[in-house]
Amino acid sequence: MSRVTDSSGKWIGWAFFADLGNALALTFSYMFSKSVTMQYPDKEKWLPYSRYRGHHFLKRDEEGEIKCVACELCARICPCYCIEVVPYEDEKGNRRPAKFEIDMARCLFCGLCEDACPADAIALGQQYEFSSFSSHDLVVGRDDLLAKPGKANAGGAVVSACLNTQENVLVKTSKQQGYNWWRNIRRT
Amino acid sequence: MELVVALGLIVFKVALLIAILLLLPLPLTWLERKIGGHIQQRMGPMRVGWHGLLQPVADGIKLLTKEDHIPAEADRFLFKLAPILALAPPFVVFVAIPFGESVSVLGTEITLYASNMNVALLFVFAVIGIEVYGVIFGGWAANSKYAVLGSLRTCAQMISYEIPMGFAVIGVVMLAQSMSLLDIVRAQADVWNIVYQPIGFFVFFVAGLAKAQRIPFDLAEAEGDLGAGFHTEYSGIRFAFFMVSEYAIMLLVSVLSVVLFFGGWNGILIPLPPFLWFLLKVAFFVYLFMWFRFTFPRYRYDQLMTIGWKVLLPLSLANIIVTGVALL
Repeated sequence: MSRVTDSSGKWIGWAFFADLGNALALTFSYMFSKSVTMQYPDKEKWLPYSRYRGHHFLKRDEEGEIKCVACELCARICPCYCIEVVPYEDEKGNRRPAKFEIDMARCLFCGLCEDACPADAIALGQQYEFSSFSSHDLVVGRDDLLAKPGKANAGGAVVSACLNTQENVLVKTSKQQGYNWWRNIRRT
Repeated sequence: MELVVALGLIVFKVALLIAILLLLPLPLTWLERKIGGHIQQRMGPMRVGWHGLLQPVADGIKLLTKEDHIPAEADRFLFKLAPILALAPPFVVFVAIPFGESVSVLGTEITLYASNMNVALLFVFAVIGIEVYGVIFGGWAANSKYAVLGSLRTCAQMISYEIPMGFAVIGVVMLAQSMSLLDIVRAQADVWNIVYQPIGFFVFFVAGLAKAQRIPFDLAEAEGDLGAGFHTEYSGIRFAFFMVSEYAIMLLVSVLSVVLFFGGWNGILIPLPPFLWFLLKVAFFVYLFMWFRFTFPRYRYDQLMTIGWKVLLPLSLANIIVTGVALL
């Protein structure tokens, strides 16, 4: 901005289109600057930060058992009633969920279930690619939730990826490259 | 026998010109999208072929296979006529344009122009003027508000830039003492016309921008306020006709700028083949067009007419007078 107003006040600059010239110089310099495009999903993919609230996942304790005690607090606090929990008593006498279903189509990813959970059993992880052609597929059960990826460890970076439509996982990722996409954006 | 060879050569040249002009929009659209992308810190097309090189081919296939829709209320005859009216004149004009002196192939001299008219410049301006009818008819026949507004703007625009454009080249004609484009280029062998005619070039180029209907003067198809302007209702191959015509005119204005003001195929400093010099200069002007497109905003059409009548016309008239006095 400042570059444009500097020369436009003088009549000689006005007569020789200094403002247009400045504009051309600016776009020319931009043309040879680095592009900020993230080539998702062809080449790159953004790994979210660890605070990111994506697809839910259920945690297991040290013995590999599900942490959830089926207290249904998450279902209670959920503002859109998208969690359904049915408890049962397992062979050790612990209260566990027989059914734990989240309707991802209704979820608004507020993370209140994570806050409410007394057993630290449910959390919102890093996965954000779960679009579907049918809303029935978006109702996710207990075992699927246990298999979902957890929180990102050191997110906030672009990793190389490639599109894979054959498999269930659409975008394959590689090791983290560790460059922050936001740093790429030119600040003037 | 000689007549047959001469005739065959002309047919060959014309066929080659048509082929080049029909195929050139493909790389040019790719180039435009790439340049636009990088100016805006994007990448442009990347997915079809290496760095999107095959994108124009994919677009072409898409346009050819698309439904050719004609609105129910449209004037069907004019609607079909308009794309052809827009497409043909830019192709016809290139007959009169020289691309170089001559090359010898297998011992025979082959001139790098289809014809050497003594009124080539007049021919160019006369024929290219017809192209505007394609745009006007297209907008009128579609029977759509946006399209009619686009073609009305074209009418207003055409009157305001054609006159300064015609006056701007008179200085060049006075310097070369000829209207033949070949003679004009030959007259610039030592010093390019841009040295004597900077104002003439300025007027010509600004009017040329308006002629090619490119930003900052693309009022007829202003995407922001008119949908797509005169070709709102066009789809498929007829739309492709308008696009090819637009690129052909952009190329024509570039070529004319080079021939009239930048010495044609006469090089300076670096001894390159004349034809390569010509191509380089034209490429520079084509780049300039695209560079402008992604830099400048669009003028309002009353602003365009103000520029045409109050700035370009007096400037071009003054240019004629000054050139005339200097020549005397």
